[in-house]
Formats: sequence, structure tokens, C-alpha cells
Amino acid sequence: MHRQLRHRHSIFCIVPPDVLRDIARNGAEEERQAALDTLAADSTFRTLRAIRQAAPVATASPATVSLAAVAGTGEAKQLQRTIFDCHNSRSLPGDPVRTEGAPTTGDPAVDEAYDGLGATYDFYWETLRRNSIDDQGMPVNGHVHYGNRYNNAFWDGQRMIFGDGDGVVFNRLTISVDIMGHELTHGVTEKEAQLIYQYQSGALNESVSDVYGSLVKQYHNGKQAAEDADWLIGEGIWADPDRGEALRSMKEPGTAFEGDRQPAHMDDYVNTIDDNGGVHINSGIPNKAFYLTATELGGYAGERAGFIWYATLRDPRLKPNASFRQFARLTAVNGEILFPGGREQQIVRDAWSEVGVDI
Amino acid sequence: MRVRFKMDGGFVYLPARSEPTTIDTDDLPAEEAKELERLIEAAGFFELPETSSPSRGAADYLRYTISATTPEHSHTVHLTDPIEDPHVQALVEYLQRYS
Repeated sequence: MHRQLRHRHSIFCIVPPDVLRDIARNGAEEERQAALDTLAADSTFRTLRAIRQAAPVATASPATVSLAAVAGTGEAKQLQRTIFDCHNSRSLPGDPVRTEGAPTTGDPAVDEAYDGLGATYDFYWETLRRNSIDDQGMPVNGHVHYGNRYNNAFWDGQRMIFGDGDGVVFNRLTISVDIMGHELTHGVTEKEAQLIYQYQSGALNESVSDVYGSLVKQYHNGKQAAEDADWLIGEGIWADPDRGEALRSMKEPGTAFEGDRQPAHMDDYVNTIDDNGGVHINSGIPNKAFYLTATELGGYAGERAGFIWYATLRDPRLKPNASFRQFARLTAVNGEILFPGGREQQIVRDAWSEVGVDI
Repeated sequence: MRVRFKMDGGFVYLPARSEPTTIDTDDLPAEEAKELERLIEAAGFFELPETSSPSRGAADYLRYTISATTPEHSHTVHLTDPIEDPHVQALVEYLQRYS
């Protein structure tokens, strides 16, 4: 049964979020519904944010970039999650079943999505001082039980959508925190660099999502050191464990599962029109470059390699149609800017060289 | 009526997923043939736009290519998730179950 959730009472457009949450928990049924509806609505929340935070997001010029300038401009943690249940239909958004601060529901997909979105937000806030996907406290919404035995999870431009898997190919798609980090990061990339989702720029887009998906997992594991991390994306996703360990390996591209075609070097770059020009295939190359950089630098990768990649993502010189080489060059440049005179820049160069991208 | 269905994309590249399926209603039991014809008609298939682009910034979405040929019509559409029209959703669900 579906309820139309579009009707929004005008009074809720000026009510602060903490009051909305209170109404959502304690109000009469109609008020609760309207409050839930408003909390989940993108544009209303962003309007509230824009009013409160008058300062625009700074565009760092290369000459003045410092660690502080590269970090996000968020002043306060503003995590606002809503998980929706699509009840195995393809209609969106589905019913809101868990809002920010609400207790566990007992539905693993709902609770895992809630935790995974939170872990992703926390990583971005704690490590990069980025306040949600748009760095302005945008609500973080997940839609679970999408479709019937649906073997996919994706970012639709505004929200994350998860199928249950069919239990033959995939388990439920919320099973791995790095998948959620991956999907949310598509939102970050779209906000920052708009890397076009095809061929090399698309493979970079995919790689950035794998990088930060992995970092979310490593952060969540207690700021795990790079050398201790498994560098796998989507571990446990295959319903048949004999099929493989994970969806992708950043450490050894091409080994995650039977049939994994990811290359680890430009010599093996796959020219194809499938998969938007191989965006999930050729991402293995920049993935490996990040893995090499992170492990050579050592320690928790969020703070150095993760910073260099983040500065690159936000660098105005990174164009939407960037090639691997152009992206690689900017990682080296930003490595030097962020860590002047340090070993970081050379390590970055060596990593790219090892995967066949000469800069 | 012959219907050809192909899936592509998704959050991992699976070539097997991209193998097309072809269904000929002449080869189906009468009830199933009727069901497929009904779904095609309910979706307004032959009037659907040929392509619909994914939203800006969308990623890891599944893509569907559906071709239907009858003695009178022949049409191909390219779709990406999420599909908005519930009738088109129903057609895709049916074809996915088949493939």
C-alpha cells in the first residue's frame, strides 16, 4: 500500500530540523507524516542551511592551498538520515521507516543502510571536515528493498537505492559499508568535479568512489592502517562464496571474483563500449595507484593519500573529461602543495608509473 | 511478436548480464504470450521515446535495451533505472525474470 507523501504543510518550511524531528517522533499522525516528509525533502533543508550559513564554499587557488583550506567548510556536524522502504516495488521514494536518531528496526537492510550512511558521513566529517555530500549538510537518504530480487545498488543523482539481491547472484546490497561509501561518493564527485561517467573520466569517477568507499571502511574499522586493510570492495556480496571474495580488489585488480576483468596496468586497458566505456573495468588502474600510494605512505590512508586525492577532486584544474594522466598529474601537484618537500609527491609519481600512467 | 531484452551496467561489470534474451510469442504458451502482449501495450511501448538519459550525476545504474517487433511495428528503447512509469516497470520486471 502506498501513501502519497508529496503534500507538505507550508508551516514546516520554516520550522527548524530539531523541532521537525520532535514532531516526527511525538506529533499526531498527520503532523508526523508532514514532518517526516519535510525532513526528507532535499530543497527545504538546503534552504535552511543556506540561510544559516551565509559563507560560500571557498574555491582554493593552488598558491594558497593548505591543509585547512582543502578541508570542507562545514562548521558543525549535521547528519540527517532517512531510510525508505520500497517494499519490493520500483516506486520511489517508498515509505520512510527510520529517521535520524530513531532506534533499530530489526530489518537488516534498513539498519545496515542507516549505519552505513552514518559511517560515510562520519568519515567525511572527521577526516575531511566535509559536511555531507554537498558540504552543506544535505540529508542523506537511502532506499532499500527496491525492486524484486534486484541485483544492484546505485546512485540516481540524488539518493542511494538498494536491491535485496536474488540470493543466487548477490546477497543484500547493504551488506558492505564500502558499497554505501562508494555510492554516496558519487554524489560528492558530482558536486566537486562532475567527472563524466564514461571512458577514462568515468573510470576515474568509479575509482574515486572505490577509494572513498574503502576509506570509509578503514575509518569505520578504527582508522585502520593501509597495510592492514583488505582493499576489497563489496566483500561478502556474492551469494555463492566460491564465485569470489568481493566485487573489486584495489590491491590486485582482476582477482576479486571469477570473471573479474579489471586491469592493473595501462598495458591491459580495456577498450570497450560496454559498461559506459568500461568505467567499472578500467577503474582498476587508478585504484591500484591509490592503493600503492596509501601503502607506501603507511598509516591510516585517510589523512595523507586520502587528502591528496580529495584536493585533486576539488582542484579547479580537474576537468569533467579528465584523462588518467591529467588526474595523475594533479595528484602529484597536490601532493607537493599539501606536503611541500615531503616524500609524498614522489610516492604518488611512482605509484602512477607502476600502473603505466606516466606524468 | 518478437521481443529482445538486454541489460547492461550496474555497480559491477558482469558480461553474462549483458547477454541478450529473445522471446518469440509464437513459442510461448498462449497465456504467457497474451501477458507479454498486454505488458507491451500497457507500457505504450511503441510510443516510448527511444532514449532517456540518466539524471545528472547518476552512477552504477542498470540500463535496459528492449526491442519489440510485430508485423506492423518495430521499435527499440533504451532505459535506465530508476524507471518512473509503473507500466514500463512491470514490463522490465517481466523481462528480467525471463532472462
